[in-house]
Amino acid sequence: MKKQQLSAISYVNASLSFIFGVSVFVFFGYFYTYHLAYQEQYQMFLFTSDYMAETTHRVGGLSEYLSRFLTQFYYTPLHGALIIATLLTLMQRQLLSAALHLAGREKNGWASLTFVPSIFYWILLCDENYMLTGVISVIMALSAFLWSRSVRQARVRAACSLIMIPLLYALAGGAVVVFGILFIIAEAVKGGLSIRQRCLTAAGNALLLALSPLSAQYFFPQYPLAKLLTGADYYRYQSVFPFSLLLLWLIIPAIVAGFRLLPAVKKGWRLWLPAGMQGVLLVFLAVLGVSGAADWKKEEVMRYDYYVRQGNWEHIISMADREAPASPLSVAFLNLALCRQGLMPDRMFHYFQNGAEGLLPSFVRDFSIPLMAGEVYYHLGFINTAQRLAFEAMEAIPDFQRSARSIKRLAETSLINGDYEVSRKYLRILLHTLYYSEWAAETLSCLHDEERIEANPEWAGLRKYRTKTDFLFSEKEKDMMLGLLLGQDPSNRPAYEYLMAYCLLTKDMERFSLYYPLGRDIHYRTIPKSYQEALIYIWGLTNNTTAGVPYAVSDEVKRQVEDYRRIYVSYPAAEQMLKSRFSGTYWYYLHYRK
Amino acid sequence: MKRYFIYLPLLLCSLAACREAVVPTGTTDGPPVIFPDYAGVTVPATIAPLNFRVESADYAAIHAVIEGSRSGRIEARGGRRAAVSIPPGEWKRLLADNTGSDLSVTVSLRQPGGWISYRPFAIHVSGYPADYGLVYRLIPPAYEVYGKMGIYQRDLSDFTQTALLENTLIPGNCVNCHSFRQGRPEQMSLHIRGPYNATVLTSDGGVDLYDTKTEQTIANCVYPYWHPSGGYIAYSVNETRQVFHEQRDKRIEVVDARSDVVVYDIGKNELLSCPQITSQDAFETFPAFSPDGRTLYFCSAAARVIPEEYDQVRYDLCSIAFDPESGTFGQEVDTLVRAAATGKSVSFPRPSYDGRYLMYTLSDYGNFSIWHKEADLWLLDLHAGLTRELTEVNSSDVESYHSWSSNSRWFVFSSRRTDGLYSRPFLASVDEAGNVSKPFMLPQKDPGMYDSSLYSFNIPEFVTGRVELDARIVGRKARSGERIQMKYSSRAVSGRGL
Repeated sequence: MKKQQLSAISYVNASLSFIFGVSVFVFFGYFYTYHLAYQEQYQMFLFTSDYMAETTHRVGGLSEYLSRFLTQFYYTPLHGALIIATLLTLMQRQLLSAALHLAGREKNGWASLTFVPSIFYWILLCDENYMLTGVISVIMALSAFLWSRSVRQARVRAACSLIMIPLLYALAGGAVVVFGILFIIAEAVKGGLSIRQRCLTAAGNALLLALSPLSAQYFFPQYPLAKLLTGADYYRYQSVFPFSLLLLWLIIPAIVAGFRLLPAVKKGWRLWLPAGMQGVLLVFLAVLGVSGAADWKKEEVMRYDYYVRQGNWEHIISMADREAPASPLSVAFLNLALCRQGLMPDRMFHYFQNGAEGLLPSFVRDFSIPLMAGEVYYHLGFINTAQRLAFEAMEAIPDFQRSARSIKRLAETSLINGDYEVSRKYLRILLHTLYYSEWAAETLSCLHDEERIEANPEWAGLRKYRTKTDFLFSEKEKDMMLGLLLGQDPSNRPAYEYLMAYCLLTKDMERFSLYYPLGRDIHYRTIPKSYQEALIYIWGLTNNTTAGVPYAVSDEVKRQVEDYRRIYVSYPAAEQMLKSRFSGTYWYYLHYRK
Repeated sequence: MKRYFIYLPLLLCSLAACREAVVPTGTTDGPPVIFPDYAGVTVPATIAPLNFRVESADYAAIHAVIEGSRSGRIEARGGRRAAVSIPPGEWKRLLADNTGSDLSVTVSLRQPGGWISYRPFAIHVSGYPADYGLVYRLIPPAYEVYGKMGIYQRDLSDFTQTALLENTLIPGNCVNCHSFRQGRPEQMSLHIRGPYNATVLTSDGGVDLYDTKTEQTIANCVYPYWHPSGGYIAYSVNETRQVFHEQRDKRIEVVDARSDVVVYDIGKNELLSCPQITSQDAFETFPAFSPDGRTLYFCSAAARVIPEEYDQVRYDLCSIAFDPESGTFGQEVDTLVRAAATGKSVSFPRPSYDGRYLMYTLSDYGNFSIWHKEADLWLLDLHAGLTRELTEVNSSDVESYHSWSSNSRWFVFSSRRTDGLYSRPFLASVDEAGNVSKPFMLPQKDPGMYDSSLYSFNIPEFVTGRVELDARIVGRKARSGERIQMKYSSRAVSGRGL
């Protein structure tokens, strides 16, 4: 093939890499953004020598450390998207270099195949439990391979490989197999060794690959062999063996070997047609794979969670106005936003409601739900529960990392509770982070300074609302807990509205009637809409007419309930008829929602 | 090559010149506030260097001169806001040369105006030897969920900490309740809780895993205490649950809905008990054998409805005779400390191995004193029958678990005094006359470790030597499901009428 044509193909390949990188960036930066924000909060990268020593002192420790270092930048999701795009593109380019090195530049026309591992890992990264460690360790293995090929003397190169395998295993973990297999292939097809030497080198490499995890047991006796096979935490759950990565590690040498076997494409349509077809096929696979792997329901919850963290209540409501949330956690966040904006009793039934779980989520032995659910308890003044959920979430992180978000919440709740020394401990730790250090330094200066704490509206408000007398948290008696909170401060509007919402969502009309008068100190100008609807419904249970209802129910609500009742009792298929006019009412929820 | 030999002394000289001479330009009246607080403490002659930092002032550098009252002098330095780093070899010699006498520590800080010296403080080097080290569990002060944790041993003479068993080896499980026969490392008991549920017993290199739940007992065996003969282990069996407070000063309440005491006969693989320690009307827990093995101490409270009456449960300190030859119990239960009558509650009775004292924790109610800020250590003189609060070691925060050294001249206890949440191990000595020294926190190479660590030091226990536990064997047996089933003895009579 002519030099000019080769450079044209190289240019096209580089452009394809660039387009691929941009696609990954756009996907994570603009469509799958909140998965990145979610990832960042379940780790806490510290710029300390102790953290570095602790993280790297394990099999695959360096790849783990680099992964955590880069993941901290997910705090700004666009930065995270750029990092992922760069790494996946780098992996593709390295693989292309490795393949061309062994097969020759005239195989350039098959370059599209080198996108397969990167697309594969892109698909894996749609699962929030796949860590960046996997792609970093493969890049380390490919880098080591490409470096080894730069060693000209075959015997020196063979000797290097015997050193590289245990070293790479220690630094990158199980991804060393990529290096090992590639090296064996490379020496088999393009080495200066005799057949006997090749066999010996291959046997040595294979033996070292097998012996590395076995010998690691002696250095790391506190890990089972199954864990030492992979070493680094490629997947968040320790008990799950990442078979997908094993597949990835095998695909890479298979592609390199495949390049060698594939025919060299010449020029003209015989070059561009197969290349184009490959490209189309890959785009199709990428779209199919990524769209199949992406979990948009989780993305929705993560999006709501992100804005709750920001305290951007208006944005949450506007999101719900565009598309009503469905999952209990998203609904709980929406209700929290409505409450914070003073809109809950009037508007909560305008949106889909998911029962009591969509108001005050229950504790689950999990790392994500408690952290998210804790936001609701925190803003209501259940400071100890918010603290507990933050702690539980951090302890439940499957790969034993610490959570910067949890530590921040623990520092806040300790400060609100007046436990300044333990708050100081958490804040001092956060000083060693990139994104939380400024907040930590500012908060540290507030410790023991009651005036400054009282000047902070959030902390002062929560100190006002939190319980002054002790009671035990009860998952089954959340209404009682809200009642106790309200009993201590009858002007605690969020506690009252949550108590009322709890009764409405659990359809407990008896308790609604009982608790309703507790709101007299809230001083509503008019009775909130959902309360009017409940009151008139309760009245209607023992009366045939709305006349004489002993509450200030508006004429509009009275008219509506009459219309609703007429349709409800007259038509067997009333639900559909009522939906258009009354889906935003409490009556509709009462009759047709769980 | 010769040139390098010429340059080498010059380089060494220039490095030495970097060590600025400390010439104080001023002094302060009082001693410095240091962390950890080692001023006026008594330490064993084999303790690791007491590296410390100054808390009461900011500084660019720190310098300490440690002088023995008999002989020896050490200089130690540290950087900005850092701890002094005491040279281990020199420290070891200084302690050896001054055993039974005092060290004087003079601290100077480099501040903008020059070096400021503080009034010296003393450290007493005790003549009583301490044991080889400590074994403790490192666990975050968590609620229901646990992440990474492990049981570790620490050599008291240096800073070496090694893992005995971490739950990374048995993912999803908890490891707890390590216990040794009077501090001997050869015989150890610990529990694995979770999917690989087991009690691990080691004896002279052998490791066996047991299933301790029987039809006749209400739960798995917990809170072990070895009989001095090594032939028995006392356990309690507890139906435990946790509840969570909403008030700011409290967090967690660990409560027993039912509990009994049993004794495991290792040789016969039998659990022994009697109605007096398995009563339905009482919660019995935290057993401990006397050093002669003929008395079993335990805590007992009148049964209450749990969790409703969790704050009404108050434990007395009781004892019952035990005959190690026959494995039988006495008829009478003696009440040694009637805490319940005074509105208090006893937990963790631990007799000293010389038979003179019994140390226990006293709190307002319940038995899980680590979550009780008011919990303090008390000492019962078993000869005189007198009990007193250990004001020398107590603080305004939690003091809870404690353990004696093999010679009964030292004890280690956990306290949350540094920040109110994370338990740290403190050591103190008791002399023949019962005088208790000011406690000191377990020294670390960098005391900043206590700031950054998110782990509590749980159940600190003295050990007389290095524990040799092959974690891989424990892990393999745990995963294999290989268990020895404990049997409830036909000789045992339960008060529950089982």
